[in-house]
Amino acid sequence: MPDLQITATVNGREVTRAVKPWHRLLDFLREDLGLTGTKEGCGAGECGTCSVFVDGVLIKSCLMPVAKAQGTRIDTVEALGRRQFTAVQKAFKKAGASQCGFCIPGMVMAATAALRDSPRADREEIRERLGGNICRCTGYQKIVDAIELARDVLLGLKPESVFDEETTADGHYTGRNVGRIDAPSKVTGALKYAGDMVMPGMLHAQVLRSPHAHARILSIDTSAAKAMPGVEAVVTCDDVPGVDNYGVFVSDQPVLARGKVRFVGDAVAAVAAVDLVTARRALAAIRVDYEPLPAVFSAEEARRPGAPVVHDYAPNNVTKHIPVRVGDVEKGFAESDLIVERVYETQPVEHAYLEPEAGLAYVDPDDVVTIWSPSQNITHHRHMLARILARPINKVRMIMSPVGGGFGGKEDMIYQGILALLAIETKQPVRLVFTREESMAVSAKRHPSRTRLKMGVTRDGLIRAVEYEMVCDGGAYGLSTEGVMRKAAILGAGPYRVPNLKLDTWGIYTNNTPSGAFRSFGGLQAQFATESHLDVVAEMLGLDPFEIRRINAMRVGTATHTKQELKSASLLEVLEAAAKASGWDTGAPTSRGAVRGDLFGPGNRVPLAPGSRVDLRMPAEAGEVK
Amino acid sequence: MARKRGRGMAAGWYGIARTAAVDRAGAWVEIDDGGTVKVVTGVTEIGEGILTVLAQIAAEEIGVRPQDVTLGDNDTARAPEAAHAGATRQTYMVGNTVALAARDARDRLVEAIAEQWQVAPERIVTADGMVSVEGESRSMTMGEAVHLCKTHGVVPLGAASFGTDTTGLDPIDGSGRPWQAYVFGCQVAEVEVDTVTGEVRVLGIWAAHDVGRAINPQGVEGQIEGAVAQALGQALMEDYVQVEGRTTTPGFARYILPTSVDMPMVNVEIVEVPDPIGPLGVKGIGEPAMVATVPAVMNAIYDAVGVRITSLPASPEKILALLGAKDETSRVAPVGV
Ligand code: FES
Ligand code: FES
Repeated sequence: MPDLQITATVNGREVTRAVKPWHRLLDFLREDLGLTGTKEGCGAGECGTCSVFVDGVLIKSCLMPVAKAQGTRIDTVEALGRRQFTAVQKAFKKAGASQCGFCIPGMVMAATAALRDSPRADREEIRERLGGNICRCTGYQKIVDAIELARDVLLGLKPESVFDEETTADGHYTGRNVGRIDAPSKVTGALKYAGDMVMPGMLHAQVLRSPHAHARILSIDTSAAKAMPGVEAVVTCDDVPGVDNYGVFVSDQPVLARGKVRFVGDAVAAVAAVDLVTARRALAAIRVDYEPLPAVFSAEEARRPGAPVVHDYAPNNVTKHIPVRVGDVEKGFAESDLIVERVYETQPVEHAYLEPEAGLAYVDPDDVVTIWSPSQNITHHRHMLARILARPINKVRMIMSPVGGGFGGKEDMIYQGILALLAIETKQPVRLVFTREESMAVSAKRHPSRTRLKMGVTRDGLIRAVEYEMVCDGGAYGLSTEGVMRKAAILGAGPYRVPNLKLDTWGIYTNNTPSGAFRSFGGLQAQFATESHLDVVAEMLGLDPFEIRRINAMRVGTATHTKQELKSASLLEVLEAAAKASGWDTGAPTSRGAVRGDLFGPGNRVPLAPGSRVDLRMPAEAGEVK
Repeated sequence: MARKRGRGMAAGWYGIARTAAVDRAGAWVEIDDGGTVKVVTGVTEIGEGILTVLAQIAAEEIGVRPQDVTLGDNDTARAPEAAHAGATRQTYMVGNTVALAARDARDRLVEAIAEQWQVAPERIVTADGMVSVEGESRSMTMGEAVHLCKTHGVVPLGAASFGTDTTGLDPIDGSGRPWQAYVFGCQVAEVEVDTVTGEVRVLGIWAAHDVGRAINPQGVEGQIEGAVAQALGQALMEDYVQVEGRTTTPGFARYILPTSVDMPMVNVEIVEVPDPIGPLGVKGIGEPAMVATVPAVMNAIYDAVGVRITSLPASPEKILALLGAKDETSRVAPVGV
């Protein structure tokens, strides 16, 4: 297909470029014009990171074919605040509305559009107008705060000076809302994430992935792909020079599948080519012969005798078991007036950071393999890579590019090894950017869990014994499963005194997408069970939920479940603070919603509307709320 | 009434920094020309605001302004190890390290200036880019002070590392000292459950968390608000579904994430019980902020409509099924039987 000639007015200047006919407006901006403030979070019109104005209308540039841009006027985030920040940008900075920043250029565009179209929009309307833009970091609260602030200044209700940084002259800067130093680069789109970086002579990488959940690899034929013009390298596990077995806690993963594949999406081979299209065509030319194997898709099945074995070193499919033992649970249950047992389950969850995985690798003139990527653990990735590449540590250099959201998902090393192999093979810079679908399919998930919890308490609500077993599906590779099981084990029984405890956590291999590190690292799943259970027990005993927690709370000097004496413990303080702030109406959790004093009772505040701002410390009400 | 409201609460705890392993971080600090400051430590921002926090800490310790501080750089070949960006360890591990390194650099500078001025080093005050003597009018700018150091052949440099006194767990009974700092939190959730559609809306969250010391309160709020949003996703809608190992939720069209309209107002209560061990008293907030949200919401749903969700997420289908089952039971066994 011949190139298209496109002329458009971009950020006030007319530009003409010959572009690939399959390019979207997003590619035209990012690749042909180098305007990387506009981001690609999903490529499917779902996230809003690619938002720009076309003829003054807010659109998602990933959905617009470049041909349609002919003759239009396009404004990107780079057009805003060239000389001086706009009110929206200043407000984002002031309100602390940016975190990782990856959604922020799109948010700034959407906010600008919202206030242009509806200058007096209230909080509710602002929230609705942002409905097409996802942010995974902020919970939207400070973004909406920022837009309200910008609106008030634009309407003249507040002076421009509200945007100014608080000044202090006492030399104290901690404990203060010092403005984020990275806010300017985020509200302008100037910050370069790994996928925004380019180097001269840069090649584009693509990864061939397994269509099978579990299969033996009989052969891989890369000859046709290697012979294609524009293809600079095709690598498989045979190109790994060092020890091809790595992992954060247990070494069970090759850089590219060796002998067998263990989940749908397992990396099998990779290509570096002059452009993405050539790289994708080369993938299609690689021939892999698979022999499908029986697979196992749940932790329960995988624990059964005779279940398919995912890793030979672990014939029972156990990645890790962590036990915690205190006292004698049988004795504890015998001393209990009430024993309650329940099962709690959690689902696998995706990190959904807005920045898909990306990296840029090259071998520098001193023969140092250098990798830019949003890795959350450059230190450990460097150790692992040095071993994989059979190089001294100082011949491997990891540089952490700005992370467009991580939440633990960028702790496990799932593509940096592939990039390193391609860079070594080609002696050229190589960039790999995941699509959203690739990221979803191959990046680690929050461990799905099943917890059986049995608790014995006295009539007064004192916990006497807990028996706790949590089983998690760790998926096809170990990644952070061991650490997650450990944290779940330490925290699982909650911040309460449990004199008799028998607790076990189990991480199990299956042929599902691997589970890994995810913000709270097992703490969420483990405590969901305990904190739900305490309410069940409190209802049966007729105790207020705060009360049952207070009665059993760990304090300074308490020995934790792992028998560590606490030097500092603030559970009682936070219980008090939450009860007070929420105006909690004391009572047993007996589904009394309809009669709660803090919801509808006489003299109370008006019911909350979604997202509305309430100040429970309003004097008239505070006196009456309990 | 089709819509019923309820409230629930939950608490939680969490450990700061690496688990059941000795954690450590290192940093270098130079008080540079013009009274600026270079902080070099192998860490970067993953969105939580750590660079700003480190600039605040270095500025206060040395006596300059945060905008005078340059941070760099997260590069294994150029910066000392700060280890990883996770485990709610950045403010605790790297913040404390930078404070110690900044004090070390300041000591170099103060020694040189004290000698020049012939006063005891303890009497030198540094703040907001000025160097002075306590109770006297003598002063100079930080830039002049650095220049003076250099004419004496001194580059005001500091270095430090900060490590934890922790152990692994016993393989039989799990005993050990996995962390040296623990944090606690408590959240209250208010929900509205539509008994016709099964939909749950979270109307308000009150989140009280001990962070040790908040270096940047706005940043702490941002961490809690974001954590609550992610936890609400897990509580109510997110689900990565696989059938025979193949996902049926391959993109954001099928994998549903919370948007601005799903979010309640999050009311943050910062509780400060300083860590008795580290030099700054700080602890952390990134991960612990999301522990209590899910059970608080489930407890609130129970309060509203009397159904106990034990399998996440609390989708409308599950709520309706449980409400239906409950109606069945109450028909079969009327209240009081
Ligand atoms: S909406 Fe265009 S990249 Fe997500
Ligand atoms: S700041 Fe919005 S996605 Fe990170």
